[in-house]
Amino acid sequence: MMLTKEELVRYERQIIVPEWGKAGQEKLKKSKILVAGAGGLGSALLTYLAIAGVGKIRVIDGDKVELGNLNRQMLHADKDIGREKVDSAKERLESLNPDIQIEAVGEIITEENIFDLVEDYPIVDAMDNLPARYLLNRVTVRRNLPLFHGAVYGFEGRATTIIPGDTPCLKCLYQGVLPGKTPVVGVTPGIIGCIQATEVIKYIIGIGELLTNRLLIYDGLGMRFNEVKVKRDPNCEECKAK
Amino acid sequence: MSVKVKISSLLRGSTNGQEIVEVTGNTPLECLHSLESKFPKMKKWLYDKKGELRPQVWFFVNGERIFRDDLNKPLNDGDELFVLLAISGG
Repeated sequence: MMLTKEELVRYERQIIVPEWGKAGQEKLKKSKILVAGAGGLGSALLTYLAIAGVGKIRVIDGDKVELGNLNRQMLHADKDIGREKVDSAKERLESLNPDIQIEAVGEIITEENIFDLVEDYPIVDAMDNLPARYLLNRVTVRRNLPLFHGAVYGFEGRATTIIPGDTPCLKCLYQGVLPGKTPVVGVTPGIIGCIQATEVIKYIIGIGELLTNRLLIYDGLGMRFNEVKVKRDPNCEECKAK
Repeated sequence: MSVKVKISSLLRGSTNGQEIVEVTGNTPLECLHSLESKFPKMKKWLYDKKGELRPQVWFFVNGERIFRDDLNKPLNDGDELFVLLAISGG
Protein backbone atom coordinates (compact mmCIF):
# COMPACT_ATOMS: atom_id res chain seq x y z
CA MET A 1 0.00 0.00 0.00
CA MET A 2 1.94 2.99 -1.31
CA LEU A 3 1.99 6.26 0.55
CA THR A 4 0.55 9.31 -1.19
CA LYS A 5 2.48 12.56 -1.60
CA GLU A 6 0.40 14.12 1.18
CA GLU A 7 1.10 11.18 3.51
CA LEU A 8 4.81 11.47 2.86
CA VAL A 9 4.57 15.06 4.05
CA ARG A 10 2.18 14.42 6.93
CA TYR A 11 4.29 11.63 8.37
CA GLU A 12 7.71 12.88 7.33
CA ARG A 13 9.02 13.44 10.85
CA GLN A 14 8.29 9.88 11.91
CA ILE A 15 9.28 8.32 8.60
CA ILE A 16 12.80 9.68 9.12
CA VAL A 17 13.08 7.74 12.38
CA PRO A 18 15.53 5.00 11.32
CA GLU A 19 13.48 2.14 12.75
CA TRP A 20 10.31 3.46 11.16
CA GLY A 21 10.86 4.46 7.52
CA LYS A 22 8.38 4.32 4.67
CA ALA A 23 8.03 0.60 5.25
CA GLY A 24 6.87 1.21 8.83
CA GLN A 25 4.42 3.87 7.71
CA GLU A 26 2.98 1.54 5.09
CA LYS A 27 2.50 -1.11 7.76
CA LEU A 28 0.57 1.38 9.88
CA LYS A 29 -1.55 2.37 6.92
CA LYS A 30 -2.50 -1.26 6.28
CA SER A 31 -3.14 -2.04 9.93
CA LYS A 32 -6.27 -2.17 11.99
CA ILE A 33 -6.74 -1.89 15.73
CA LEU A 34 -9.65 -2.08 18.12
CA VAL A 35 -9.75 0.34 21.04
CA ALA A 36 -12.17 -0.63 23.79
CA GLY A 37 -12.95 2.60 25.63
CA ALA A 38 -13.04 6.23 24.51
CA GLY A 39 -12.50 7.67 27.98
CA GLY A 40 -9.37 8.74 29.80
CA LEU A 41 -6.95 6.17 28.41
CA GLY A 42 -8.79 6.05 25.12
CA SER A 43 -8.56 9.79 24.55
CA ALA A 44 -4.80 9.88 24.61
CA LEU A 45 -4.09 6.64 22.81
CA LEU A 46 -6.70 7.15 20.10
CA THR A 47 -5.30 10.59 19.39
CA TYR A 48 -1.78 9.30 18.93
CA LEU A 49 -2.77 6.24 16.94
CA ALA A 50 -4.83 8.41 14.62
CA ILE A 51 -2.16 10.99 13.98
CA ALA A 52 0.47 8.29 13.55
CA GLY A 53 -1.56 6.96 10.66
CA VAL A 54 -3.03 3.65 11.83
CA GLY A 55 -5.24 2.88 8.86
CA LYS A 56 -8.35 1.56 10.57
CA ILE A 57 -9.43 2.07 14.14
CA ARG A 58 -12.56 0.51 15.60
CA VAL A 59 -13.64 2.37 18.73
CA ILE A 60 -16.05 0.73 21.15
CA ASP A 61 -17.75 2.57 23.98
CA GLY A 62 -21.34 2.42 25.22
CA ASP A 63 -21.27 5.62 27.28
CA LYS A 64 -22.35 9.18 26.66
CA VAL A 65 -20.19 12.20 27.41
CA GLU A 66 -20.77 13.72 30.85
CA LEU A 67 -19.40 16.88 32.44
CA GLY A 68 -17.52 14.82 35.01
CA ASN A 69 -15.53 13.16 32.20
CA LEU A 70 -13.93 16.34 31.00
CA ASN A 71 -11.05 16.59 33.47
CA ARG A 72 -9.38 13.71 31.63
CA GLN A 73 -11.24 12.60 28.51
CA MET A 74 -9.75 15.12 26.17
CA LEU A 75 -11.33 13.72 23.01
CA HIS A 76 -14.57 15.26 24.23
CA ALA A 77 -15.59 18.82 25.06
CA ASP A 78 -18.47 20.72 26.63
CA LYS A 79 -20.31 20.77 23.31
CA ASP A 80 -20.34 16.96 23.31
CA ILE A 81 -22.11 16.50 26.64
CA GLY A 82 -24.96 14.07 26.07
CA ARG A 83 -23.50 12.64 22.85
CA GLU A 84 -22.32 9.10 22.40
CA LYS A 85 -18.60 9.07 23.18
CA VAL A 86 -17.82 7.11 20.04
CA ASP A 87 -19.48 9.76 17.87
CA SER A 88 -17.61 12.57 19.57
CA ALA A 89 -14.38 10.57 19.30
CA LYS A 90 -14.90 9.80 15.61
CA GLU A 91 -15.53 13.45 14.80
CA ARG A 92 -12.42 14.60 16.66
CA LEU A 93 -10.14 11.86 15.29
CA GLU A 94 -11.28 12.42 11.71
CA SER A 95 -10.55 16.12 12.10
CA LEU A 96 -7.04 15.22 13.24
CA ASN A 97 -6.44 12.81 10.38
CA PRO A 98 -8.97 12.57 7.55
CA ASP A 99 -6.87 9.91 5.80
CA ILE A 100 -7.66 7.09 8.21
CA GLN A 101 -10.85 5.15 8.85
CA ILE A 102 -12.59 5.42 12.21
CA GLU A 103 -15.39 3.00 12.94
CA ALA A 104 -17.56 4.08 15.88
CA VAL A 105 -19.35 1.29 17.75
CA GLY A 106 -21.64 2.62 20.46
CA GLU A 107 -22.14 -0.59 22.40
CA ILE A 108 -21.48 -1.83 25.89
CA ILE A 109 -19.22 -4.88 25.86
CA THR A 110 -21.02 -8.02 27.02
CA GLU A 111 -20.40 -11.76 26.97
CA GLU A 112 -22.88 -12.02 24.11
CA ASN A 113 -21.33 -9.46 21.78
CA ILE A 114 -17.62 -9.41 22.55
CA PHE A 115 -16.45 -12.01 20.04
CA ASP A 116 -18.40 -10.35 17.22
CA LEU A 117 -17.17 -6.89 18.19
CA VAL A 118 -13.52 -7.90 18.28
CA GLU A 119 -13.37 -10.28 15.29
CA ASP A 120 -9.63 -10.57 14.64
CA TYR A 121 -8.51 -7.09 15.63
CA PRO A 122 -5.58 -6.55 17.97
CA ILE A 123 -7.10 -5.07 21.10
CA VAL A 124 -6.27 -2.03 23.17
CA ASP A 125 -7.73 -2.25 26.66
CA ALA A 126 -8.81 1.27 27.60
CA MET A 127 -11.66 0.12 29.80
CA ASP A 128 -12.47 1.30 33.30
CA ASN A 129 -13.71 -1.87 34.93
CA LEU A 130 -12.39 -5.37 35.47
CA PRO A 131 -15.39 -7.41 34.20
CA ALA A 132 -15.14 -5.77 30.76
CA ARG A 133 -11.38 -6.24 30.78
CA TYR A 134 -11.85 -9.90 31.53
CA LEU A 135 -14.11 -10.22 28.48
CA LEU A 136 -11.48 -8.61 26.27
CA ASN A 137 -8.97 -10.98 27.78
CA ARG A 138 -11.12 -13.98 26.97
CA VAL A 139 -11.15 -13.08 23.26
CA THR A 140 -7.44 -12.38 23.41
CA VAL A 141 -6.69 -15.83 24.77
CA ARG A 142 -9.17 -17.77 22.64
CA ARG A 143 -8.22 -16.06 19.37
CA ASN A 144 -4.50 -15.45 20.02
CA LEU A 145 -4.76 -11.70 19.70
CA PRO A 146 -2.45 -9.18 21.35
CA LEU A 147 -3.88 -7.08 24.16
CA PHE A 148 -2.38 -3.73 25.07
CA HIS A 149 -3.39 -3.15 28.68
CA GLY A 150 -3.39 0.02 30.74
CA ALA A 151 -4.97 1.03 34.05
CA VAL A 152 -4.95 4.12 36.26
CA TYR A 153 -5.81 5.28 39.76
CA GLY A 154 -5.11 8.81 40.90
CA PHE A 155 -1.51 9.58 40.09
CA GLU A 156 -0.59 5.94 39.51
CA GLY A 157 -0.75 4.00 36.28
CA ARG A 158 0.24 0.63 34.88
CA ALA A 159 0.82 -0.84 31.45
CA THR A 160 1.72 -4.20 30.02
CA THR A 161 1.44 -5.96 26.66
CA ILE A 162 -0.16 -9.38 26.52
CA ILE A 163 0.69 -11.89 23.82
CA PRO A 164 -1.23 -15.15 24.41
CA GLY A 165 1.05 -18.10 24.95
CA ASP A 166 4.09 -15.91 25.63
CA THR A 167 2.95 -13.75 28.51
CA PRO A 168 0.51 -13.89 31.40
CA CYS A 169 -3.01 -13.10 30.36
CA LEU A 170 -5.00 -10.47 32.20
CA LYS A 171 -6.58 -13.09 34.45
CA CYS A 172 -3.13 -14.36 35.41
CA LEU A 173 -2.46 -10.83 36.65
CA TYR A 174 -5.74 -9.64 38.11
CA GLN A 175 -7.91 -11.44 40.61
CA GLY A 176 -9.62 -8.28 41.85
CA VAL A 177 -9.19 -4.51 41.93
CA LEU A 178 -9.65 -1.66 44.35
CA PRO A 179 -13.37 -1.16 44.88
CA GLY A 180 -15.29 2.11 44.76
CA LYS A 181 -15.17 5.19 42.57
CA THR A 182 -11.76 5.53 40.93
CA PRO A 183 -10.01 8.85 41.38
CA VAL A 184 -8.33 9.92 38.14
CA VAL A 185 -6.01 12.83 37.52
CA GLY A 186 -6.17 13.75 33.82
CA VAL A 187 -2.47 13.48 33.15
CA THR A 188 -2.29 9.90 34.38
CA PRO A 189 -4.40 8.29 31.62
CA GLY A 190 -2.65 10.70 29.28
CA ILE A 191 0.70 9.16 30.12
CA ILE A 192 -0.47 5.56 30.24
CA GLY A 193 -2.52 5.99 27.06
CA CYS A 194 0.59 7.27 25.29
CA ILE A 195 2.53 4.25 26.52
CA GLN A 196 -0.18 1.94 25.17
CA ALA A 197 -0.13 3.77 21.82
CA THR A 198 3.65 3.42 21.71
CA GLU A 199 3.30 -0.32 22.24
CA VAL A 200 0.71 -0.61 19.48
CA ILE A 201 2.88 1.29 17.01
CA LYS A 202 5.94 -0.81 17.86
CA TYR A 203 3.92 -3.99 17.50
CA ILE A 204 2.53 -3.02 14.12
CA ILE A 205 5.84 -1.88 12.69
CA GLY A 206 7.78 -4.68 14.41
CA ILE A 207 10.38 -2.59 16.22
CA GLY A 208 11.71 -2.06 19.70
CA GLU A 209 11.02 -4.19 22.71
CA LEU A 210 7.46 -4.68 23.84
CA LEU A 211 6.30 -4.54 27.45
CA THR A 212 5.82 -8.30 27.47
CA ASN A 213 6.23 -10.16 30.75
CA ARG A 214 6.83 -6.76 32.30
CA LEU A 215 4.54 -4.39 34.14
CA LEU A 216 5.46 -0.74 33.91
CA ILE A 217 4.35 1.23 36.96
CA TYR A 218 4.06 4.98 36.79
CA ASP A 219 4.10 6.93 40.05
CA GLY A 220 3.22 10.51 39.25
CA LEU A 221 3.54 11.76 42.80
CA GLY A 222 7.10 10.53 43.15
CA MET A 223 7.65 11.01 39.38
CA ARG A 224 9.17 7.62 38.98
CA PHE A 225 8.73 4.63 36.72
CA ASN A 226 9.21 1.17 38.15
CA GLU A 227 9.22 -2.05 36.25
CA VAL A 228 8.47 -5.52 37.55
CA LYS A 229 8.45 -8.92 35.91
CA VAL A 230 5.16 -10.72 35.61
CA LYS A 231 4.57 -14.32 34.71
CA ARG A 232 1.81 -16.73 33.88
CA ASP A 233 -0.25 -18.08 36.72
CA PRO A 234 -0.22 -21.90 36.50
CA ASN A 235 -3.70 -21.89 38.08
CA CYS A 236 -5.22 -19.33 35.69
CA GLU A 237 -8.71 -20.47 34.69
CA GLU A 238 -8.67 -18.53 31.44
CA CYS A 239 -5.40 -19.97 30.21
CA LYS A 240 -6.50 -23.47 31.20
CA ALA A 241 -9.84 -23.11 29.44
CA LYS A 242 -8.27 -22.39 26.06
CA MET B 1 16.04 -11.24 58.52
CA SER B 2 16.09 -7.70 57.22
CA VAL B 3 13.97 -7.02 54.16
CA LYS B 4 13.24 -3.77 52.34
CA VAL B 5 9.59 -3.30 51.49
CA LYS B 6 8.78 -0.94 48.65
CA ILE B 7 5.36 0.60 49.03
CA SER B 8 3.00 1.46 46.18
CA SER B 9 2.18 5.17 46.05
CA LEU B 10 -1.43 4.25 46.77
CA LEU B 11 -0.39 2.89 50.17
CA ARG B 12 1.99 5.65 51.17
CA GLY B 13 -0.74 7.61 52.88
CA SER B 14 -0.64 4.80 55.46
CA THR B 15 3.15 4.90 55.87
CA ASN B 16 3.54 8.62 56.48
CA GLY B 17 4.80 8.96 52.93
CA GLN B 18 7.60 6.44 53.27
CA GLU B 19 8.31 4.63 50.03
CA ILE B 20 10.81 2.11 51.42
CA VAL B 21 10.38 0.54 54.83
CA GLU B 22 12.82 -1.84 56.42
CA VAL B 23 11.15 -4.77 58.22
CA THR B 24 12.13 -8.12 59.64
CA GLY B 25 10.61 -11.37 58.44
CA ASN B 26 11.56 -14.73 56.99
CA THR B 27 8.77 -14.89 54.43
CA PRO B 28 6.75 -12.33 52.46
CA LEU B 29 3.81 -12.94 54.76
CA GLU B 30 5.88 -12.32 57.88
CA CYS B 31 7.21 -9.13 56.32
CA LEU B 32 3.68 -8.01 55.57
CA HIS B 33 2.66 -8.58 59.18
CA SER B 34 5.72 -6.68 60.35
CA LEU B 35 4.75 -3.84 58.04
CA GLU B 36 1.19 -3.79 59.32
CA SER B 37 2.33 -3.64 62.91
CA LYS B 38 4.37 -0.54 62.06
CA PHE B 39 1.59 1.04 60.04
CA PRO B 40 -1.79 -0.28 61.19
CA LYS B 41 -3.69 2.13 58.88
CA MET B 42 -2.53 -0.02 55.98
CA LYS B 43 -4.70 -2.93 57.02
CA LYS B 44 -7.89 -1.51 55.54
CA TRP B 45 -6.28 -1.55 52.10
CA LEU B 46 -4.91 -5.05 52.51
CA TYR B 47 -7.70 -6.99 54.16
CA ASP B 48 -11.42 -7.34 53.59
CA LYS B 49 -14.07 -7.28 56.33
CA LYS B 50 -13.55 -10.96 56.99
CA GLY B 51 -9.86 -10.37 57.57
CA GLU B 52 -8.83 -12.11 54.34
CA LEU B 53 -6.00 -10.70 52.28
CA ARG B 54 -7.60 -8.91 49.35
CA PRO B 55 -7.01 -10.47 45.91
CA GLN B 56 -5.98 -7.06 44.57
CA VAL B 57 -2.84 -7.00 46.72
CA TRP B 58 0.13 -7.97 44.58
CA PHE B 59 3.56 -9.02 45.80
CA PHE B 60 6.87 -8.91 44.02
CA VAL B 61 10.15 -10.25 45.38
CA ASN B 62 13.24 -8.67 43.86
CA GLY B 63 11.10 -7.33 41.04
CA GLU B 64 9.35 -10.59 40.19
CA ARG B 65 5.71 -11.41 40.83
CA ILE B 66 4.94 -14.06 43.40
CA PHE B 67 1.59 -15.75 43.90
CA ARG B 68 -0.32 -16.50 47.08
CA ASP B 69 1.23 -19.97 47.32
CA ASP B 70 4.64 -18.30 47.57
CA LEU B 71 3.84 -16.03 50.48
CA ASN B 72 5.24 -18.51 52.97
CA LYS B 73 8.40 -19.27 51.02
CA PRO B 74 11.64 -18.16 52.66
CA LEU B 75 13.29 -14.91 51.72
CA ASN B 76 16.99 -14.12 51.72
CA ASP B 77 18.66 -11.37 53.65
CA GLY B 78 18.58 -8.16 51.61
CA ASP B 79 15.62 -9.22 49.48
CA GLU B 80 13.22 -6.52 48.36
CA LEU B 81 9.49 -6.97 48.63
CA PHE B 82 7.19 -4.70 46.62
CA VAL B 83 3.56 -4.41 47.68
CA LEU B 84 1.29 -3.11 44.95
CA LEU B 85 -2.46 -2.74 44.61
CA ALA B 86 -4.29 -3.81 41.45
CA ILE B 87 -6.16 -0.92 39.84
CA SER B 88 -8.66 -0.72 37.04
CA GLY B 89 -9.43 2.88 36.21
CA GLY B 90 -9.40 4.02 32.62
